[in-house]
Amino acid sequence: MSVPFGAASLIPRNALVWIILSQFALLLPHLGRLPVWVVLVYLLTAVWRLLVYQGRVSFPGRWVRIALIGAGFAAVFFSYGNLLGLEPTVALLLTAFALKLLELIRRKDAYVVIFLGYFICVTAFLFTQDLLLVLYSLFTLLLVTTALVALHRPGEHRFRVDTLRLPALMLAQAFPLMLVLFFLFPRIGPLWTVPVQSHAARTGVSDFMKPGDVSSLSQSDEVAFRVRFAGDIPPRSELYWRGLVFSVLDAGTWRSLRYHELPAAELRAPRLEPSGPELSYSVLMLPTQQNWLYSLRYARSPQSGVLATPDFRLYSPVEVEDQLRYSVNSWPETPLETELSDWRRRTELALPPASNPRSRELALGIRAESPTDAAFVDAVLAYFNRENFVYTLQPTLLSAPEPMDQFLFETRRGFCEHYAFAFTLMMRAAGVPARVVAGYQGGEINPLNRTVIVHQFDAHAWAEVWLEGRGWVRVDPTAAVSPERIELGLEQAVAGEGSFLANSPLSPLRYRGVNWVNMLRLRYDAWTYRWQSWVVGFNSDQQYRLLQDLFGTVRARTFVIIVLASGALVLLPVAWLLLGRHRRRPPDPAERLYLAFCARLARRGLTRGRGEGPRDFCRRVAGTDPALGQWAEEFTAGFEELAYASSGANDGARAQLKGLRRLLQQMPGRAAGASRLVRG
Amino acid sequence: MGAAAEVTQRTPGSPGGRFGRWLERRIPAARSVTLDQRRIFIFPSLPGLFFLLLLLLILLTAINYQNNMAYAVAFLLATLFIIAILHTYANLAGLSLHAVSATSAFPGQQSEFTLRLERGRRASHFGLRLAWPGGSDTQVSLVDRDSAELALFVPVGTRGWHHPGRLLLESSYPLGLLRCWTWVDLDLRALVYPQPLASSVLPGGSSERPEGATVPVSGSDDFHGFREYRRGDSLRQVYWKGLARGLALQTKHYAAFADHSAWLDWEAFPGIPVEQRLSHLCYWALQYERGGEDYGLRLPGTEIAPARGEAQLARVLTALALFRIGEQRQ
Repeated sequence: MSVPFGAASLIPRNALVWIILSQFALLLPHLGRLPVWVVLVYLLTAVWRLLVYQGRVSFPGRWVRIALIGAGFAAVFFSYGNLLGLEPTVALLLTAFALKLLELIRRKDAYVVIFLGYFICVTAFLFTQDLLLVLYSLFTLLLVTTALVALHRPGEHRFRVDTLRLPALMLAQAFPLMLVLFFLFPRIGPLWTVPVQSHAARTGVSDFMKPGDVSSLSQSDEVAFRVRFAGDIPPRSELYWRGLVFSVLDAGTWRSLRYHELPAAELRAPRLEPSGPELSYSVLMLPTQQNWLYSLRYARSPQSGVLATPDFRLYSPVEVEDQLRYSVNSWPETPLETELSDWRRRTELALPPASNPRSRELALGIRAESPTDAAFVDAVLAYFNRENFVYTLQPTLLSAPEPMDQFLFETRRGFCEHYAFAFTLMMRAAGVPARVVAGYQGGEINPLNRTVIVHQFDAHAWAEVWLEGRGWVRVDPTAAVSPERIELGLEQAVAGEGSFLANSPLSPLRYRGVNWVNMLRLRYDAWTYRWQSWVVGFNSDQQYRLLQDLFGTVRARTFVIIVLASGALVLLPVAWLLLGRHRRRPPDPAERLYLAFCARLARRGLTRGRGEGPRDFCRRVAGTDPALGQWAEEFTAGFEELAYASSGANDGARAQLKGLRRLLQQMPGRAAGASRLVRG
Repeated sequence: MGAAAEVTQRTPGSPGGRFGRWLERRIPAARSVTLDQRRIFIFPSLPGLFFLLLLLLILLTAINYQNNMAYAVAFLLATLFIIAILHTYANLAGLSLHAVSATSAFPGQQSEFTLRLERGRRASHFGLRLAWPGGSDTQVSLVDRDSAELALFVPVGTRGWHHPGRLLLESSYPLGLLRCWTWVDLDLRALVYPQPLASSVLPGGSSERPEGATVPVSGSDDFHGFREYRRGDSLRQVYWKGLARGLALQTKHYAAFADHSAWLDWEAFPGIPVEQRLSHLCYWALQYERGGEDYGLRLPGTEIAPARGEAQLARVLTALALFRIGEQRQ
């Protein structure tokens, strides 16, 4: 069946169905980020296009299309408030992708849709590069490629699932070389700034602390970061991941010092002499859109791009927009800042005048009974422990103008933030320099790959007090109220009230008790860790190390050789698979001899024409060069007998073959001089 | 008269010049061509170039967002493009093209060229487009069958042999990103008759014809018998009743009993240029054939005895078409 070419440039129905399928598949990963109307646009256009195919309605006219595009722009603008961020851009792309279906008439329209589809597949990765999404995207790539293949099979007017086979094969063939390119392609920095996620929630610990805000972190089972220790994992009660230091109490809110508030002499992080055992670990942090990084105390990072602050934290000069991996060395026993500058002392003692008077009074009372600052700290902790303070995720809201007075003397229900606030306030009131530290405490150890998984609900706040001769000492008032929180984690600490992840009933973390669910979760987490550290987080440093491990030195030449060699290694088998079977089977011995015969004659200028039979050729040879005539006739006759007479007797055929071979050698020569000339 | 010997007419669009000569050496004319790497060319198509642009865009996205998965997609698609070279090539490789026939035509008409396309070892070949530059083009897929016969129409030029030039066979299956093509010379040629040109009467040469006998224009009114249907017979003369009774397709044959025969004589047009003479002779041959009269042809060096019927017409027209045309190209 042949089709006139004009009709063939139309889109076969099979391709149309695959295009619509891939459109919906591409929409799926974006669903959570998109307004509902986008989904409606997809349904509308798909139904419209199928009705067009059935001939019930026609394609929309030009003005209708322009109006639809304008409406799409307007709707995106009203949904997001702008058109320039990453989300509105992607929403626009997706809307255009759907609307393009309404002018999908010729093959070139289909190319536009399909190429746009490839790009939309990439946009999903700008939001997350989760392992599951990547696997899913492989599937969508397959669908889009299938649409492309179906487009080039004219005349297929029924949906065919088996169209999938060829693109699946091609993608599988493309995969190995993709891996090579992935690991070898040089990674360079961004060429220009691009719109980033504008609506992305800043996750993790925030840079201020105000008791009374209900902490949503404790309800989130998302992973904040994963840590892998080079040696043994310290006990979880020692895992205090410092992220922020709140030195300023301002209008009932703790916050960190702003950069401009630091005097010039305090800007640089003091470099301490490490003492005690060293911990070496790497942290794989998920994007937070914040600057601060998490580490155990006293931390240093050998990595460029990870800076230290005067209050002994690590931080990144740019917001963490993608996952970040940094290696850290910590010496937990190193005393921090044994000499306190006047400015620092003043800052760490400052309190808003005349706030929380009852709390201050209480602090001064306990301090008067304590011989030293250290004894005072113990006495306050003992106070928290002795009085009927309750650790709860459902604290009574503090509404009074003096929140700490209300907390310490009335409600007495709260979690880490409340206790850290109250404790630090009391310390400062009694003249002991103190500050609040925020970060995470503890973490879950995955036995499968020995990583520590720190979840958002491990978020914690504690205090540091400055003691003469000891420097900054960590004090966790929450531990005085609820030792389980520190020893066993949040889940055990609030087991009584059942508030652990109360808002996410389906979180697999809630089913840690069920063994196989837990194993499955941990295994997936181990895979994720590997995925994120090796694939998602693959960067130029890792690339350099990989190449060094594999090939010793890294030079441009090595690069080129590897790329070419692996390209050949991958492509040759494919070429062989596709084309190798076209090669003819080796001809049988008689044919081979005849070909040798022809080759010899060709050297004498007698070339057998295409399709010229042996006899005709022989006659021509005899006519052109009588010296060869007899020999050629004999040989041709022998060959014909061997090739066409049924060769039942094997031995006889072999003897004939031998004779023929001998005959071939006895080709009459030409004049000796001429032969010299040819050879010469 | 040597000018009339020039018969090879290049159809516009067919590769000419240096490339044409190179092609001539690389893919010599043959009645059957099997496509192999010597004969197949491959290059990114226009959509393929846009696809490369898309890859660049994805790569830029990957670089600017430092996004490893975007890198992965860019590389996967780039490799897919490379793999597609092999697949696109394999869609043409191994195919063989055979020349079957070409119908004769009058100038300005279209000649029907028939080709047979045979598959190679591959089970299926999709979306093969065949076209003669300036002629019609057609698209065919070889799926679940070994060969296909195709008819392509090419407008013919002036009297003589019409060589349609090289046939374009192209395909961009499976991804459309690469175009794989070949130009083959199937050594097919169509015979082009002279352009019929009316002349009032057949001057001279009518000595053998009785005076006053007019040639019946729509003659053939006496039923003569049946004969087997042949292509080209008028449908009005088909014996439909017989067909309805289950007989083979037959044509009612009418014959006007002309008891005289006419000679179409070259010498009858003195002083008229060659092509015009041939055109007049062609016209009269058609007239006599329609009229059911016997007619013969006398050309310098050729004489065709009077007869009638399709075979006679073909003989006469062929002689006219090839008059003084060398047999240079076969």
